[in-house]
Amino acid sequence: MTRTRRPSPQTTAVVLALAHEPSTWRYGYELCRQLGLKPGSLYPILVRLADRGLLETAWDNDVPAGRPPRHLYRLTGAGRALATELAAAAAASPSSALKVRWQGA
Amino acid sequence: MNPNTRTFRTAAVTAAIAALVLCFPLALLIVAGLLLHRWTGGRALSTMDFPDRLLTAAVATLPDRRRDWGVAMIAELAGIEGRRARWQFASSSAAAALWLAPIGRWPVLAPVTAVVVAGGVTAGWATGAAVPGLGVFAASFAGIIGVMVMLAIAYSRRVRMPAPVATLLLGGAVAAAVTMTVTFMVRQPTAAEHLSIFGGIFLAAVLAGGLWIAVAAPRTNRLAPYLGIGVALVYAAGYLTLLRAGYHPQLEPGTQQTMQLLAIMWLVSGSAIVFPLASFAAASAGRSFRSGVYVGVWAISTSAALAYAVFLYEALRRYTIRPGLLLDGEPGPVGQNLGNALFWVLGAIIVIGLPSALVGAGLGALTRGQKAHVVPDAAPRWAE
Repeated sequence: MTRTRRPSPQTTAVVLALAHEPSTWRYGYELCRQLGLKPGSLYPILVRLADRGLLETAWDNDVPAGRPPRHLYRLTGAGRALATELAAAAAASPSSALKVRWQGA
Repeated sequence: MNPNTRTFRTAAVTAAIAALVLCFPLALLIVAGLLLHRWTGGRALSTMDFPDRLLTAAVATLPDRRRDWGVAMIAELAGIEGRRARWQFASSSAAAALWLAPIGRWPVLAPVTAVVVAGGVTAGWATGAAVPGLGVFAASFAGIIGVMVMLAIAYSRRVRMPAPVATLLLGGAVAAAVTMTVTFMVRQPTAAEHLSIFGGIFLAAVLAGGLWIAVAAPRTNRLAPYLGIGVALVYAAGYLTLLRAGYHPQLEPGTQQTMQLLAIMWLVSGSAIVFPLASFAAASAGRSFRSGVYVGVWAISTSAALAYAVFLYEALRRYTIRPGLLLDGEPGPVGQNLGNALFWVLGAIIVIGLPSALVGAGLGALTRGQKAHVVPDAAPRWAE
């Protein structure tokens, strides 16, 4: 039997931020700045989402000369479904701490 | 002679010895640092600032399955401007890199962690009850080995013995050191006064580190473990011979004192000469700094465990023949030999031997013009 755990507020914020424009690839640093999260918090969340098949990743090779390709992130279909659920839950509980932050982003 | 003058001279001699003991390893460390700086001054780090180096070093610790995430963080850092912003991103990402490895492993790690904690507490309590004074060592030893097991699981490291025979020999040396510690404490319970908490943790860390090297050291050079073990056997045999001669009944008292002095010199100068020479030879022959370091680490780990075990064995033996401390023949409680073994044998070999071996390996690599490939595993794929 699989156990369903409620995502942390930070995870919820990341998922909802990615779901804001679901077809757009996003950068890690960009997400950090948008959500006010440190990379030390963001990257473990991204790793967990990718491990669970909720996040797809790609490399952006279209970068200035001498710069390394950047990692890109966007939600998978399952990730978008989760985002829909989380958005509904967030709307139902206005006290969600990070709700305003992702909406305002 | 005026007693005050004598006291002053004794204090001056003690201060001079202490200064020498502190300054010599410090000077060695500075030389080793300069050599490492010179050695790592190649292309790999030349264009990196400190945040880059910090993050690259942290990413180098990631297992293969998480390496892309580390490269992703390095790539993001490359686009960040401003010293403060770069430091903030690099330090936070480096911390994240250390936590990425266990992600997904907690179903296995959680019970292992529970076993490690329970095992450490139980080992400390049970050993402390059976052999008073040994509880801290037992708990620390079990705990450190448990943490090593946890790290191996978290980082998905397959434990592959670097060289089976060398592994057995180094493992045997560690087992001998543990056995002699227990034997000494059982036969001389007053020795517990000379095994401080710090001493117990230090002994556990050195011996557990030796076990890690025996079982999980990187396999880069097949001959390095055997060369290191060979050097250690010669070192320990020489030390045993001099120790034994220091109280041999058929030798004149003057000769015995000379042998005691030679044993101390063997301990210090051997660490400062034998280990760096072995590292130099290995680094020079293999055109590799790493080969020199590996030989030095194998030699020092084995020598420390063997010399420590030999010292305790000889201390017990000598005390039954003629009471007195093994190190210098001065009168003193037999238990003090344990403190001497920790400080003068283990401490001297580690503190003097490691930086000396680094210097030897650095010089050996420099003479052949070998350049560093710093943390090659962490090098981003775009750089290839």
